[in-house]
Amino acid sequence: MATNHTPTAGAALGNELRAGTVAKVGSTKRIQELNGMLHSNRPNVDITRARAYTKVYRETEGMPSMMRRYKASAEVYRSLSDNVYDYEQLVGWPTKRIRGANFAIELHAHWLADDLPNLRGRTYDPFEITDEDYKELEEDLLPYWKEKTMAVQWGHYVDPKEWDRAQFGGVSDVSNYLCANGSHFIPSWTDVIEHGFVKYYEKAKALRADLDPNDPESVDKRIFYNGIIEVLEAIRDWGERMSAACARKAAQETDPVRKQELEKMAEMMTRVPWGPATSFHDACETAWAVCFFLFVEGAGPSITWGRFDQYMYPYYKADIEKGILTPESAMELIEELYVRVTSNVWFQSTQMAYIFGGYYRYPHLDVGGLDEKGKDASNELSYLCLRAMRYAKTTSPAVSLMLHQKTPDALLYEACELAAEGMGHPSFFNCEGLYEMLEHRAGGLDGHSNYNRRDILKYGSPIGCVEPGAEGLQYGHTDSGIINVAGCIFAAVTNGRKAEGVDGTYCGQVVTYESGAPETLTTFEDFYAAVKGQVKYAIDECHANLLICEKILAEQFNLPTFTVLLDGALERAKDATAGGAKVNIGPTMQMVGFATMVDSVAAIKKVVYVDKEATLPEVADACKKNFVGYEALRAKLLAAPKYGNDDDFADEIAADLWEWFAHSTMRLKMYRGHYCDAAVQMVQSNVGYGAMTGATPNGRLAGMPISDTMSATQQADTNGPTAAARSYGKLDFPAYTNGTLLNMWISQSELMQ
Amino acid sequence: MNTIRDIPLNCPDATYVQPEYKEAGMRNFTNLVRTMLNDYGVYHVQFNTINKATLIDAKAHPENYPTLMVRVAGYSVYWTDIAERVQDDIINRTEHTF
Repeated sequence: MATNHTPTAGAALGNELRAGTVAKVGSTKRIQELNGMLHSNRPNVDITRARAYTKVYRETEGMPSMMRRYKASAEVYRSLSDNVYDYEQLVGWPTKRIRGANFAIELHAHWLADDLPNLRGRTYDPFEITDEDYKELEEDLLPYWKEKTMAVQWGHYVDPKEWDRAQFGGVSDVSNYLCANGSHFIPSWTDVIEHGFVKYYEKAKALRADLDPNDPESVDKRIFYNGIIEVLEAIRDWGERMSAACARKAAQETDPVRKQELEKMAEMMTRVPWGPATSFHDACETAWAVCFFLFVEGAGPSITWGRFDQYMYPYYKADIEKGILTPESAMELIEELYVRVTSNVWFQSTQMAYIFGGYYRYPHLDVGGLDEKGKDASNELSYLCLRAMRYAKTTSPAVSLMLHQKTPDALLYEACELAAEGMGHPSFFNCEGLYEMLEHRAGGLDGHSNYNRRDILKYGSPIGCVEPGAEGLQYGHTDSGIINVAGCIFAAVTNGRKAEGVDGTYCGQVVTYESGAPETLTTFEDFYAAVKGQVKYAIDECHANLLICEKILAEQFNLPTFTVLLDGALERAKDATAGGAKVNIGPTMQMVGFATMVDSVAAIKKVVYVDKEATLPEVADACKKNFVGYEALRAKLLAAPKYGNDDDFADEIAADLWEWFAHSTMRLKMYRGHYCDAAVQMVQSNVGYGAMTGATPNGRLAGMPISDTMSATQQADTNGPTAAARSYGKLDFPAYTNGTLLNMWISQSELMQ
Repeated sequence: MNTIRDIPLNCPDATYVQPEYKEAGMRNFTNLVRTMLNDYGVYHVQFNTINKATLIDAKAHPENYPTLMVRVAGYSVYWTDIAERVQDDIINRTEHTF
């Protein structure tokens, strides 16, 4: 049951503080009310999807796995609520209540079966749930699923020690991947807004009609098309139900202005998302509906709006010219999209919420960039999307500017003024870097991706936080394997061990492999080889686990709506999870603790091998003892050159280890036939992995956070932002075909009065 | 092309009040972004811009900062909603001045 004491931290407190009128902000009264509605609802669990899946899976025992999965997806659409609220201009919600999580029970049941009692009262990301739904989960739904999840099935392929080590060992980790199937995706926005789902429905029916029953491939294809058609019919019926709901609400409405709005919404729902958008408002509706369909079907974070200012602009321009839209009314719709997508909370285990708390689900919206001819693509909407965030002040989506040499200064200023607000919006992306990453995405070492130049220029944009992607052309999970390279450093000086007394399992035991006792590493080259060996070992181990998981997903965890929204997947008759995309990517390999590793290697090189002021066994012992009794040695290690100061002693090590990680990753082949991509973007997981990591030779104490993303170690970049930028500029960015993330901090008092 | 920077928006009911910017600081800021991305080839950057002193105060008095948002990494979140150890890590990052 819910706890009665007053919350003092976490979202338990934050939800309380924002429940009043404090968060009622926006450019119009309507947006202020919608923002108020958002915050007057607490994040809550919705079991509609879980119930639909359980019903269908019970009814379809013995049927082909894809058939069951597609039928379950269709049943979810048939079960969605038809609530219409006051003030809204867009229609439809993924859940019965605002801020609900219609979670994927088939991926979460194994942990939720034990964790359910904590869900309401936990400090980080608490969820409300009705007593009735709680009971149904506990007694009926969770028992059905808890031995069937992907994580449990993966356990059948590896020994129990490996299952534990890859989730709780804290060096080579797949835990972030296991509950997040259906993630990091930019659907074919341009196409679905322009044509509606009816286009895919007609296409699937035509392709099914053309099947030759004597063609061996037709056997599976028929199941595929039958399932897709059932899912699309359910989407069509959802639109009709929503139209009827708007009409019912209009009939009851006494205010004539609102009555007319509701009648127009009822009409709109007869057009979209099933058919073509005829206005900017219609196009926003399709953009919203598709976004939440995918967030309900997939369990993972980040359904991305991608190049919103590009595919929405024709509708904006036409409506402005017709005189039926103003910049202000367009911005109001954009703000409503921001409020609605912020309602869409992420559902995580108590352990993961402790690391990734805040309910954030990584939708992403980009402006700027180039057009398909290589010219500046910015337009009036680019500015409106950035400005809308200053008014709406929502945590989602992550808005970003795709910057290149041709970006107008005015747009960069607009973006920097938003950044000065202090909300963390927007991100800035270097377009040339993005395009180069996409050219090599999943192509392996020295290989090329399946993208052509036009795909990249017209559709390329970041997904999630930073991962390169392209609208309707790419599918694959991008936050998959996590390699804690600070843990690798501890292992390199302790012959493969994890520290005693830190978080997670395997404490004091060999957590990777024995790369050589410290007394045998007599030269810097010996030591450096051990470091690289540890990193490579962790990558290889993680990769082996990811291969197994991908096979399970492709066979049993299909995603029909994602598939429909991938260009060419219907013709290929392949589900997204099984290789339906033009460019298949992932699972990918994420490095955590980069600067901690670099600074540790630089410190050992300086203190042990150059200045010879200590031996490697002494450093190893100091790390094991958390520097107790080694204060003088710690001071020397802390004084060694650090990455982030434009000092080549550290930066050359940084550039080399950066490349080593990427190249070790890119040579690995994935389950769907492409190659693995590397990234440095695992948000604030540096805190959680730091808690699992012993003291490191850069002087960091045991359990403290390791360095975040690709940023310099906290407080180690002491020579100002330009020197830090110069250090970063020495790295080979295009080698990180799954993206890199950099945090910087500029004081607000520098930017505004 | 006229943008909202040429023709101001008309939002009489808006809650937002535009602050007064420091011209030199904003120019340094935009130059840093241009140089780092377009010249040095850095792929991505994002900024926290809340003063460190404010974050320290917000940690001690969350009730005064119900809607304060920060960039954790890759996403923005309400300050009050994140774990204390994540708050500490953000406070402990390097705050740069020009």
